Amino acid sequence: MSQLAESTGAQLVLDILADEGVEVVFGYPGGAIMPLYDAMFSHPIEHILTRHEAAAAFAAGGYARSSGRVGVCMATSGPGATNLVTGILDAQMDSIPMVAITGQVRSELMGTDGFQEADVTSIMGPVTKRAVCVRRVEDLERILRAAFRVARGPRPGPVLVDIPNDILKAKCPKMDHFAPHPVPIASERPHDVAIDAAIQLLRGAERPVAIVGGGARSANAVHIFREFVAMFDLPYAATINGLGCAAPGDPNFLGMLGMHGWKAANISVNNADVIFALGMRFDDRVTGKPDKFARNAKIVHADIDASEFNKIIPVEIALRGDLRATLGSLVRRAAQSQPPRFTSWAAEARALGGPLPADRAPAGAMSATSVLDAFFAVAPPDVIVATDVGQHQMWAAQRQRAIHPRNFVTSAGLGSMGFGLPAAIGAQMANADRTVVAICGDGGFQMSLPEMATLRRYDIGVKILLIDNQRLGMVRQWQELFYDKRYSHTDLSDNPDFAAIAMGYRIPAQSISDEADLPAALATFLATPGPAMLHCACYAAENVWPLIPPGATVHDAMNGSASEPEPAIA
Amino acid sequence: MQLSLVMHDWRLLERIVGLTNRLGCAYTSLSVKPSDAYYHATIDFVGPPDALRRLDAQLTRLLNDEKEMSR
Ligand SMILES: Cc1ncc(C[n+]2csc(CCOP(=O)(O)OP(=O)(O)O)c2C)c(N)n1
Repeated sequence: MSQLAESTGAQLVLDILADEGVEVVFGYPGGAIMPLYDAMFSHPIEHILTRHEAAAAFAAGGYARSSGRVGVCMATSGPGATNLVTGILDAQMDSIPMVAITGQVRSELMGTDGFQEADVTSIMGPVTKRAVCVRRVEDLERILRAAFRVARGPRPGPVLVDIPNDILKAKCPKMDHFAPHPVPIASERPHDVAIDAAIQLLRGAERPVAIVGGGARSANAVHIFREFVAMFDLPYAATINGLGCAAPGDPNFLGMLGMHGWKAANISVNNADVIFALGMRFDDRVTGKPDKFARNAKIVHADIDASEFNKIIPVEIALRGDLRATLGSLVRRAAQSQPPRFTSWAAEARALGGPLPADRAPAGAMSATSVLDAFFAVAPPDVIVATDVGQHQMWAAQRQRAIHPRNFVTSAGLGSMGFGLPAAIGAQMANADRTVVAICGDGGFQMSLPEMATLRRYDIGVKILLIDNQRLGMVRQWQELFYDKRYSHTDLSDNPDFAAIAMGYRIPAQSISDEADLPAALATFLATPGPAMLHCACYAAENVWPLIPPGATVHDAMNGSASEPEPAIA
Repeated sequence: MQLSLVMHDWRLLERIVGLTNRLGCAYTSLSVKPSDAYYHATIDFVGPPDALRRLDAQLTRLLNDEKEMSR
């Protein structure tokens, strides 16, 4: 660094962010981080003021999920930092690149229970790849640069950098150089011996299936994945994070796998003799009871993270490496001699399915699944959908038509309510010219409702499709099925007038309760410039089908039928 | 299971203890010695074999990230 020009820790942070390619950060100010906000006052980096730190973290996650770039959020010490925890853990669970920056109390106050002091690195340790407190301004650049490197990979995730107030204020030399970036990450690939063994296994298979997960999104492996499955006419399923990997209209895509997955996907995987598990981690929502999962299958597991191998399900062949490089090797080496084709098995696998079972709603009531069917039928092909968590999330996942996994943004591993709207804000910031729709339930929406103010302030054109069944629907469904219809605290029938609230934020809103109004309402909704809300008052007792009960197997799948709603409290 | 671990930051011990507990394992002896820029930790872990295997794998990942952060 040149000793000529002087800067401050805060200024340096912003210069490094800009140099790392960060264009926008999501955050909320407060005492300890004020020097950073002061420096931001005259810095070109864009800052989006959310209305809660949790939303800042979710927005950074939505930005990263939809773009592949590192999402950045920031908050002050103590309560500001602790409010970030959920959004950071969400990024950790789904391997999303994120750098979180928190202000900390002055160094001399640390450990004294000073005002708004929290042991942030200890709190954040288990929810990040690494959480570090900067104790000397001389270390600031090294730590921040490392934070970006570690957040990006090889397996992406969140990194937290905690910076005491005095370090932000400290004088330091101005940054006078630029990082050589993008830093090329060596694409590790498995040994050819392992690749050949995997191909050999496939050659001997009768009922092989591939499962693609979020690793394909992280590794930018979507294109080569499509090439891989097409080469063998291989039927395949996707985890919720792998949705969008299928080439549009590909008949060999059997659908989402798991608890609410498509029948063809679940049965084919369960009956498979060879499974190629590609960038997925055998989450319990996917496997059900692990010792009953695909018992006759030999599994080839490709992942960048060796700690995923044999974690849940024993595997025959582990292919450790960058998924794009791994799939490239598989395609190249399989092409060296006639690749096997599984055309008739693929047709058989498809035939195992059938239309999704759906309850619909009694006459006069609007069904949430009808709303979502109608929405996906008219949404632009490159629409980015961000969901909240609950029944609407599963209905959307079952019906989505994403043409790329970055177009379906959802809190999968953590399943955190409150995610949908702020994640959509982040996605819209990363994709200014695309249609971004937040599909929310009435429960989760109320956890992030104030973010409508963020939409309005920056004129962020997120469209909110609110599926209001006046219940915490997913929990209500479990109470109906597994808790003897004891509907304990899941009634939201005294919901507010959501459209009126939206209009209070000066966001155009429509409210409908009749399916006949759907086409016109959806057309207006999608054509509205800037933010908009379509509030859909839906039937309260519609359930998500199929459902494989927790810890059960595909043979126990429930397909349900419409039930009566319980009496509402309001 | 005895592991010899190289830590760049002694505070990583907190994460190791937390992870050990989360995976239903424990440690019976632990020693940490500084040398140059590193800390050498020798830890004897006990627990179900499956959990120890997972712990070993996750510690490797943790230490890799820590090494990269310290660069
Ligand atoms: C932060 C958080 N709290 C609680 C839960 C548990 N939970 C999962 S789904 C759900 C109900 C969601 O209700 P709503 O947002 O109305 O969506 P719906 O299921 O009705 O579509 C709840 C409470 C959660 N996932 N996240």
